[in-house]
Amino acid sequence: MNESMMGKELTALVIGGGPAGIEAALKIACGGYRVVLVEKESEPGGLLRKLYSSFPRWENPSDRIGWMVDDLKRNKQIEISLESTVESVARTDNGFNVTLKNTATGGARTIDVQAVVLATGFGLMDLSAYGEYGHGIYPGVLNSLEFEERLREWSRGLGKAPKAVALIQCVGSRDRSKGYPYCSKVCCMYSAKQAGVVKDLFPEAKVYVFYIDCRAAGKGYEEFLREVIEKKHVRYVRGRPAKVLPDGGRLLVRAEDTLIGIPVEFTADVVVLAAAVVPHPETAALAKMFGAPVDEYGFIDHDLRSHAKCADRVFFAGGCGFAVDTESALSQGAAAAAEVIALFNGNG
Amino acid sequence: MDTDFYTPMRLDEVESPLQDEVEKALGIDIETCMECGKCSGGCSNAHIFDFTPRKVVQLIRLGAEETLLTMDALWVCLSCQLCVDRCPSGIDIPRIMDYLREKALREGYRPSRPAVVLFYELMCSCVERRGRVSEAPLMLRFNVLTGQYLKDLTLGIRMFLKGKLPLTAGKVKKMDEVRTLFVSWHRRSVKRG
Amino acid sequence: MIVAYYPGCSLEGVAREYDRSARLVCERLGFGLQEVPDWNCCGATAAHSLDHELTRGLSARNLATVGRMNLATVTTPCPGCSIRLKGAAMEAKKEGGAPEVMHLLQLLTEAAGTEKIASSVIKPLGGLRLAAYYGCLVTRPRAVARFDDPEQPRSMDRLLQALGAETVDWSHKAECCGGAFAASETSIVVDLGGQVLEAAHQAGAEALAVACPMCQVNIDTRQREVESTRGVRYDLPVFYFTQLMGLAYGFTHRAMGLKRLLVNPLPLLKRKGIL
Repeated sequence: MNESMMGKELTALVIGGGPAGIEAALKIACGGYRVVLVEKESEPGGLLRKLYSSFPRWENPSDRIGWMVDDLKRNKQIEISLESTVESVARTDNGFNVTLKNTATGGARTIDVQAVVLATGFGLMDLSAYGEYGHGIYPGVLNSLEFEERLREWSRGLGKAPKAVALIQCVGSRDRSKGYPYCSKVCCMYSAKQAGVVKDLFPEAKVYVFYIDCRAAGKGYEEFLREVIEKKHVRYVRGRPAKVLPDGGRLLVRAEDTLIGIPVEFTADVVVLAAAVVPHPETAALAKMFGAPVDEYGFIDHDLRSHAKCADRVFFAGGCGFAVDTESALSQGAAAAAEVIALFNGNG
Repeated sequence: MDTDFYTPMRLDEVESPLQDEVEKALGIDIETCMECGKCSGGCSNAHIFDFTPRKVVQLIRLGAEETLLTMDALWVCLSCQLCVDRCPSGIDIPRIMDYLREKALREGYRPSRPAVVLFYELMCSCVERRGRVSEAPLMLRFNVLTGQYLKDLTLGIRMFLKGKLPLTAGKVKKMDEVRTLFVSWHRRSVKRG
Repeated sequence: MIVAYYPGCSLEGVAREYDRSARLVCERLGFGLQEVPDWNCCGATAAHSLDHELTRGLSARNLATVGRMNLATVTTPCPGCSIRLKGAAMEAKKEGGAPEVMHLLQLLTEAAGTEKIASSVIKPLGGLRLAAYYGCLVTRPRAVARFDDPEQPRSMDRLLQALGAETVDWSHKAECCGGAFAASETSIVVDLGGQVLEAAHQAGAEALAVACPMCQVNIDTRQREVESTRGVRYDLPVFYFTQLMGLAYGFTHRAMGLKRLLVNPLPLLKRKGIL
């Protein structure tokens, strides 16, 4: 069967409505094919909707995702299925029978699709294994996503102004004793952004970033980091903190300044933990349904020939494969779309 | 080779038999250390250490054996286990410190805190003689041997009156079984100064 | 449940009240403690600082003796002894069987459980605000201790709450008191013990509860020195948790050996209507 002859009859299923999924859906639609975009939340946008400011240009992520969602909603080729999850999958000769379940109404329906893009994004590790940092025990200790929410509140004049903020890098990442030997890649940059935002909002606040290595490999990234240090006066201390202790309503961070080699202490109002990036638990289950491989952590693995392909007619993009920043999520979404279009054109 | 920290260390000449030794004897992979310093940030006594636990591990890599065997940190390490529990690579630093202490004494290095070693030795000799430790005689002997006749005198009397320092304690019956252990220890430490 | 009991040297000396109270509350909870016959000292910090083989040998002899008792579990109130025994048992398990080693706090909270502990309470410790202080070796190193969360331990807090007492959330639950340095480097104990006292005081505790003879001796007997160094009056009694259990179970303060504590706890207990 020559699929290109079927033109608009062909449909791709995109699972996940974050930047990677939206970009994939838009580009597949541009290629002339139909798309069903499944999103478990009540709104598309994914993680990007939750973020305050961005690197390397201090842009508002809500603006960007807003434009993308507008494009998505205007596109007649794309059907958006919100509050929906994939219930079951049956592989057919030229695609899949996929049953979608609406989590709000409980209703289910089955659709035929000829390709799938997995774009389920990433989450942050559960920090309860780190009793030494007290996340979930001390109210001032936040993971980095919770801190994005705090930044929004602060920017609206809500909440108490902090006198001091500590940002701790590599919490979970690069820690094989807790099961995550890898570098989560995005924390160095978003933490620099968060630290910079705090200084913009509260110039008097003391803001310290505790890091092991600063990884700023990307266009404009190193310059961004230097700006945060030189212009916004965020201080960087090399050393992974050992303990956060409650201290008269505030938080005492204990670390070694490993460049000088002396123990240091820092009293903060808020301690931000850059938790390891992990795949959502449902990603591995979805991958299994579609016959795609996952690595030992549950991230999707690509096949030998394409970085966007993980099984026959199954592609993926964004954080479900590994930690990504927004730019990479978008590029990967576009790459997955190119694969789908090539397949549908009969050249895949 | 060793460090004096004033002349540059010739890294191309670095060899660390100590690293091999530690890895073989203790099964600890020193190479997994990323020098993050988490061990040292929470170390109970890092503020009085001449070399923080992180530096100890790095000094092993650099083969600075003499520095390690003479450092003060050896004798003020509390074996509180905070470092190993938090190490992302699970490096058993307290075990390394034990190893270094043992080695330092065996090779005749003078400990920077003789009182600490004396106390350990007196305690062990107590066990060697009776199989158990009797605290009151131990404290008395320690104070006499360190010439601190008045140290903790009031405290000692208070504790004695509270019945906290009984002069007699239990004794192991099959002392030969315990003594054997000490005989082989002494045989191992014959080289000692 | 019959359990082998290894008291350790301190429990025949400075911590006799820990031994007495432990035996009485265990009996009350239905644990039959059988003392390990002819046990020897574990060597503590002294032996492991001087010679690894010696410390191994001392613990191996104890473990072998326990093995001959044909009991599944051995318990000890001393965390130092318990971590040495646990280490020896870990090695022995690689070559076959070994009894389960449990620190007394572990035995009571895991094998009996807080419900059972609560059901024996006759005189609840209402109104007593305690700082549960775990120190180092009850939970560390985690790979050997295999008990509670070493960074945020809660077992003793739950136990004390089951007795009707209140426990404070505080920072120094699992910090070190200065360990074996009380005699040889007293200033370390005054420094670290002082930090523990200050933190308990800041958190509003009226007393500390401990599960370690070393912690008790350091925080209790050095408290006056800490107070004069820091210029603060703490006056915080340092109880063994078993003494508090005994009080709640209706034993007299004499039976629990409360008069042996240097910081006198009787005024506090009278003020709270517990005595």
